[in-house]
Amino acid sequence: MAAAPYRGGWLAAGIGLLLLFPLSSPDAFFLDVFTTGFLLAAFAASWDVVGGVSGQITLGHALPFGVAAYACALLTSLAGWPLPLALAAAVLLAAAVGAGIGGLSAPLAGPFVALLTLALGEIAHEAAVGNTFFSGPGGYAWGGEGGIPVALPWEDASPFSSYYAALAFLCIASFGMLRFSRSGAGLILRAVAGSPITAQASGVPIARFKRLAFTVGSAFAGAAGACFAVHVGRATATDLSLELSFQAATFAAVGGRGTIVGPVVAALVLHVLFQGLSLPPSARVLLYALTLLVTLRFFPGGVVGTVRDLALRIGGNGKEGPRSPRRRNRNRTGEGTP
Amino acid sequence: MLLDGLFAGGTYALMAAGMALILGVVKVINLSHGAFFTLGAYVAYALAERGIETPIAAAPLAAVIAFAFGVFLGKSFVNPVRSHPFALPVGTLACALLFEQAAQMVWGPHPLSIEAGKPWIGPGGLVVRRWGVIAFFSSAALLGGLKWVLSARPGLPLRLIAEDEEIAGSLGMDVETIRYLTFGGACAMAAAAGALLSPSGAVTPTMGRAPLLLSLVVVIVAGMDSVAAIFLLSIGLGIFGNACAWFLSPQWSYVALLSAVCLLLAVRPAGIVALAGRRD
Repeated sequence: MAAAPYRGGWLAAGIGLLLLFPLSSPDAFFLDVFTTGFLLAAFAASWDVVGGVSGQITLGHALPFGVAAYACALLTSLAGWPLPLALAAAVLLAAAVGAGIGGLSAPLAGPFVALLTLALGEIAHEAAVGNTFFSGPGGYAWGGEGGIPVALPWEDASPFSSYYAALAFLCIASFGMLRFSRSGAGLILRAVAGSPITAQASGVPIARFKRLAFTVGSAFAGAAGACFAVHVGRATATDLSLELSFQAATFAAVGGRGTIVGPVVAALVLHVLFQGLSLPPSARVLLYALTLLVTLRFFPGGVVGTVRDLALRIGGNGKEGPRSPRRRNRNRTGEGTP
Repeated sequence: MLLDGLFAGGTYALMAAGMALILGVVKVINLSHGAFFTLGAYVAYALAERGIETPIAAAPLAAVIAFAFGVFLGKSFVNPVRSHPFALPVGTLACALLFEQAAQMVWGPHPLSIEAGKPWIGPGGLVVRRWGVIAFFSSAALLGGLKWVLSARPGLPLRLIAEDEEIAGSLGMDVETIRYLTFGGACAMAAAAGALLSPSGAVTPTMGRAPLLLSLVVVIVAGMDSVAAIFLLSIGLGIFGNACAWFLSPQWSYVALLSAVCLLLAVRPAGIVALAGRRD
């Protein structure tokens, strides 16, 4: 995927609108939807660092998200750590988890990375659902489906402050990831994604760079997860679920993989749309799956990427888009093994 | 317990063989294979609710339904996006989740169970479950049929495509058609396995995940060449899974399978990659 030709002006306008939105005195429900949406958008962007920029298709990205959420909850409420310290520890732990996943998956290719990450994520999910080892104050067991509460230093966060805090987090995190994906390391990762063999032949230690991608992506996912746990007030097993990993992949596929900004926009639009309609959770996952299938089938380069190709083809003096013709031929004849 | 594992494993072999068929001929990892297993189980449940309680009736019906879905999926999704390494695992997973959620909306998230019929008590207090015998022998028969078809003349195009699709195409074979028909057939096998095994436990929307992993492990270890190896390994894993469920708790057999996948991938990456790529 090429670097995104997003215009800074449009982004600024979007952020401005989002800054103004709470001033129109909306329902607290919509503020909450947006707050969750910001955190999910940061999570989707962190998926994109791993799955888009460096092409390691992970289906277990909820693992660092959930690990950080649980770490944040356990450290604040059981160990009694102050919240900022717990947040930092959670992010570090998520990065370490990411390094571990990256180390395991580095020798694997293509769909087997997806398989391994999926299996790791599901193990963590099962462990979180089944475990009621930690007994909280008062003697009753924590964990299982109910999750573990986060001890917060404030009583009741106003929806406005949560909204602005989440928005600020999204902006900072996206900026960081965007910088990373356009840095020298990001460029090498794109080369690894494009062709690992060529990258290796050019002297790139691909295993180390794959691990780096997983570490960075997981650290940001962990930051999003810890913030999510703080926002919701507890860490639950759904923070580790396959559905969550899958949602991130959906956002990235719809928004265009490798663009960082695309997944953020897609996450915000889709989440606000589906959540704002207050559908039941299973209907939402169903809609996400449908959206993804339609996207993958008709816009293999993501909606944004395909529209860009179209625009190039129409606006570029009859010249065809850079990649699309070859791809379509490959599809038609069915050549090329995955 | 051992016998149950044996019966379940024999039926899982049917599903694993379908997985191997898809991996060999279509050359994709089908993460929606477990959803077809679940589909079969729900078909059996729906029939049992209407008074038809034998899995013998449910399995062919489930197979036909799954074949239709599988052909649709293979023709309209898997074939067009085959060359995109991202679209396949994520897309087939999307299909699986789509089906899980649809099943949850239709039948509810709660486990359903099917009347299994009275078990036979053998000599020495040995309990032989009727569903198990039926499932084991019908899947063994189906697998035998598959082995025969693959080694005989009708299976020739399949073997050729698995070996070298370009030569198959230049010989005038309609590779794409054979691909989606194979995909449908393999899905039908998974659904038949689901229908046959449905009386063994609870029918839930996510029940297909464990058999999916089991067949992945089987295909990774046993390879795609020998039906007999798949059969034996599935039986072994079936007994292993049942033992985990028996000694620890049912969810641990799922975790054990997941760990097996991780271990396999961590220990044998080269062997598996060679398996997925071209074998020559």
